[in-house]
Parts: sequence; C-alpha cells; structure tokens
Amino acid sequence: MATVFMKWLETRPGDYDRGIQLLTLGKIQHIKETIANDYIREGMRVLEIGCGTGALTEMIAQRGAIVTAIDASPRMLDEAEYRIKRAGLEERVSLEYVDATLIAERFPPASFDLIISTLVFSELPLDELRFVLEACRKLLRPEGRLLIADEVLPAGFIARLLYYLVRLPLALLTWLITRTTTHTLRGFESTLARTGFRTQAAASYLGGSLVLYESVPVSGEEVEPVLPPTVIGVLRHRVSLRNLLLDFWLLFFRIIPPYPKVRTGLYAVGHPHSGSPVLVTGNFDLTVRRLTRALDGRVDAWLLVADSAGINVWCGAGGGYFTAEKVIAALKTSHLDQVVDHHTLILPQLCANGVDGWRIRKETGWGAHWGPVRAEDIPAYLAHKRQKTDEMRWVTFPLKDRLEMVTVTMGFYGLFILLPVFLFWRHMFWPITFSMLGLSYFYAIVHPWLPGRDGLYKSIPLTAISLAGLFAYHASLNPLSAQQLFHWAIGLTGLSVFSAAELQGMSPLMRGEQANWGREAMIGLMLGAIYWLIPLAVGWR
Amino acid sequence: MTTEPTLLSSLTENLELARKLRKLEIHFYPDRCRGVWQCYEVCPVGCWTPDYEKRVVIFQDAERCIACGACVLQCPEKAIELR
Repeated sequence: MATVFMKWLETRPGDYDRGIQLLTLGKIQHIKETIANDYIREGMRVLEIGCGTGALTEMIAQRGAIVTAIDASPRMLDEAEYRIKRAGLEERVSLEYVDATLIAERFPPASFDLIISTLVFSELPLDELRFVLEACRKLLRPEGRLLIADEVLPAGFIARLLYYLVRLPLALLTWLITRTTTHTLRGFESTLARTGFRTQAAASYLGGSLVLYESVPVSGEEVEPVLPPTVIGVLRHRVSLRNLLLDFWLLFFRIIPPYPKVRTGLYAVGHPHSGSPVLVTGNFDLTVRRLTRALDGRVDAWLLVADSAGINVWCGAGGGYFTAEKVIAALKTSHLDQVVDHHTLILPQLCANGVDGWRIRKETGWGAHWGPVRAEDIPAYLAHKRQKTDEMRWVTFPLKDRLEMVTVTMGFYGLFILLPVFLFWRHMFWPITFSMLGLSYFYAIVHPWLPGRDGLYKSIPLTAISLAGLFAYHASLNPLSAQQLFHWAIGLTGLSVFSAAELQGMSPLMRGEQANWGREAMIGLMLGAIYWLIPLAVGWR
Repeated sequence: MTTEPTLLSSLTENLELARKLRKLEIHFYPDRCRGVWQCYEVCPVGCWTPDYEKRVVIFQDAERCIACGACVLQCPEKAIELR
C-alpha cells in the first residue's frame, strides 16, 4: 500500500520520507537500518537505484560505503543533494540523474559490490524490470549482492484478502487525486531467477506485503532459460480475488455469454524445455484454469490455447467453434516448431467430435494424439508414455459433477422464477425456493438410480416422488386446501419435468440434449391448460 | 453469404437438429475397417472394442452411443456413418 501514496507524495519531496514512513508503519525504516547495519562494510562500492530524498544514501555513506545514487526525478535529487551536503558526505556520495534502464551504459561492468533499491522495481513494467535486473547482474562483481525492498502481493489467501481490503480504498483515493495508479510485484522471485539471481527473502513485513530480497548472481549455466518470445507466459494455479469472483459467476451463470476467455497462444506450465509435451486446449477461462490446477507442480508442459470461442472443448467442438483450423492457427502463430524439437500434439479427447485429427496431421505434419478425458489424468497419461486406460477414455457423471450442473441451473431459476416471485408474490418466496432447491438437488443425487436414459422418462418417477411428498406433507404436517394442493401439484410437476430435462442437457451421458425442447414446451402448455381449465370447471374462479 | 441467426431461426434449427440427433444411429462397415482404432481412442462411452488379432474394431454397444460423432470424424476410412 505504500507505493499508492508514493505517487501522490512524489510531487512534494519534503514530505516524502515522512509519508513513506507513515504508510509502511515505520517498517521501511527497519529495512533501511537492516541494510545499513548488516550489509555495508567500509569502502564498499554501492549503487543505489532510485535514491529519492537520499535517506538511505546518507545512512550507508555514514557506514563508510562509497555510494553512487541515481534517480529519475531532478527534484528528488535536489533534496538528496541538500541532505548529503548537510551531513558532509559529498566525498563519499555521487548523485546522478540517470534512468534505471540506462545503468548498463552509464557504469562499467563489475563495478559494484552491492546494488540496493527500495520501492522502485514495483513501479517498472515487466519488460523494463527484466532489463534492469539483467543490467544489475552485469554491474555486480561476482561475489556482489543485490538488495531489493519492495511491495509485493502477499502469497497467502487471507493475507491477500486483507491486503486488498486496505489497498482498494487507497488505490481509489490515489486515482481520484492524481489519476495514476501503482503496481505491486508479482512473481518477482521467478523474475529474479530468470535473470540470473539466486534469491532469498531476508525480511518480510506487513503480512508479507513488504519484503527485502537478497540476491546473488549465479554463474551462466545455472541461469534459467528465458522463455522463447512467442510464449505468452507461465500459467500457475493460484487462488485470487478475481478467480473467486469469476468462479462464483460461472457457478450460476456459466451459460450466459460473453464467456470469459483466455488469450490464445502458447503458455508454459512448470519449467518446460524443448522436449516437453504440448497439450492443446480451448480458450474458456475455466477450462484453462482447471487444466492449470491439474498440471501445475505435477508436470512440465507447454499449453497451446486455441480459439474455441470461449466455450469448453466438447461443446465448442460439437457446436463447430473449436475446429482443426483453430488448432492449426494456434500452432502456426505461436511458432511452436521453434520452441519444441518434437512434432507431437496432445489434443483433448472430448474435442474429437469437431477437431479433425487427420486434417491436422496432413496440413502440418504434426502428430495428433488423443489425451485423456479428464485433466486430472494427464500427469498419469504422460508418465505412462501416452498410454490411456479405459477409465481415462470414458466419461462419467459423478455426484460432484451432477451437483455442479444443478447449481448452474439454479442461476436460471433464481433469475427467471425466484426473482419475479420475490418481487410480486413474496409470501410464496421461501416455499418455492425450498421446493426448488430440494427437488433439484434430490434429483442430482438419485439421478443414476432412476430408470431410463432420457430426462423426460426420469422425470416421471421424480414427479411421482415430489407429489407423494406433497401429499405426505398435506396428510401429516399441514393440511392444505384443495386449491392449494392443486396449485402445488401443477407447480411441482412442471418443476420436475423441467429439472430432469435440464440436467439431461448438461449431462454427458444422455443423447439428444436439445431434443426435449419441443416436448418440454408441449408438457408446459398442457400443464398451463390444466391450470387454467380445471378451476373454471370446478368453479374456483 | 451468412446472415445473423435470429432467436426464432436458431430455435427452429435447434429443434431440427435435435430431431435428427434423436434418430441418429451408427452404421458401421467392417469391410472398410483397417484397424487404426481411432474410434476406440476417441469414443467417450466405450462403444468400440479393438480386435487385436484381426486388426479391426468391433461395434459393441449401440445402447451406450450418445451420437457425439467423434468416431465418424476421426475414421480415416469413412467406415462409420451416423444417420
């Protein structure tokens, strides 16, 4: 949260230190003292990137270091110059007006024992960040050290939640005042590793949101290879606020477009190399995240995300959105042949109803293999040299999936039935809500034991059970009037038919998913007619 | 030239498709089969069983078929039809 106010404070160098001190709850002073006490020795040559008003510069110069301090703000440098002169340290400190990206040109290689920087790197875009870190590696002597204190996104879920709770209002305020916003470092340790540093967190404050990193340059062979330029990035499984909100939305309103999409192209999972397998998938956000969750930390692979119009691979392929052409396009545009040294794609088995494997083989010369149905089976599939067991090949509709699918229909029920009921017929809201929840989830549980494969046939016993429940309630707990019984019977029958038919459309095991629309409409019209005619005949109206 | 589908046209199309899907059945021509077993590889419900001796495939369980069309698309010999 410190850097949010930093932008605002930067306009007044005089108040800068006091503001930062306040915003980091004094922790920035701790960090500066740690640096000065633990890392500085007499005569050490130090480069400080982004010295600001020179508070740390002064501290380390007093310990005997020979400091080169740079900053990209002339006003800050004026303030620092005044401070250094007042302390009488001009001989040990040279202040220079240099942007961080130019340090490799300005200073000779291997000219510093220590490079330090506080609250600067989080302000740089990723490409500049990498560039500056590479420059730091050149400027450091072999046994030199890089010390970076900065704001990072906390790793733990609770810490991250707390952090967002504090940061969001601060960020909004800063934006209102200055129309700028700041960033936190994400995945900084892996960026350091990729630019040739071995890193440890020397100190961590404020729930892990303010960290002092101590890095040493590693020799050439140990440097992690930089990702090829066509690779979009590394996919990691992480719980974040965005993902939780998205999951919540998708749980209820998965079918409503626009579907959340992932940028198509090539991604890395883990630390893949030129011999690692290439897995193809569609660009539905949930698909990519679930795949990442199943793979991250278990296998090193390349993930080729092809355009499936933001739909899952099976429905996308069945609907004609996910095709061989889309896979070929992703293969070509990502220059996959320059990234890996084999020619083997692993396609999701369930896209075989729309992605023509032979077309991919003929057009590109790449081999196309059908991977397992479930992402969870991919590690085992890869470990056994692409041997699939029948269990990996067959779809099932287990309880967990049935409950998830029923919950998806709850979004529709809520929007189209419960919301109107709540607005216009409030006394019936809870009875209707409870019967809907009860009926739908009951059906999800007993689904495999109801006879037949067709949702409408399965709705017959379901209707019978729900009506039996209604009469049991009438007979034992709370006698209803004939009119009430009639209304409830019509409602429950409609609900049973609709629930059963709807789950069929979402199940992988019953054919003709849209076939019921016509018959559902017919049943609906019949129920409507009964609802209208019987009271006329009996004389209730 | 394609036109944007209206709600009504997509509804009627869907109903037509559904009517077709409901009646679709697998027709298998064993004499065309050369035993590449792609159908077995991609069938998500286990309708196909490879016959390793004769290097052909056996269409086993029509009841399980969900008419997804994967085997039809992946068969290089056009030995499977869905109609």
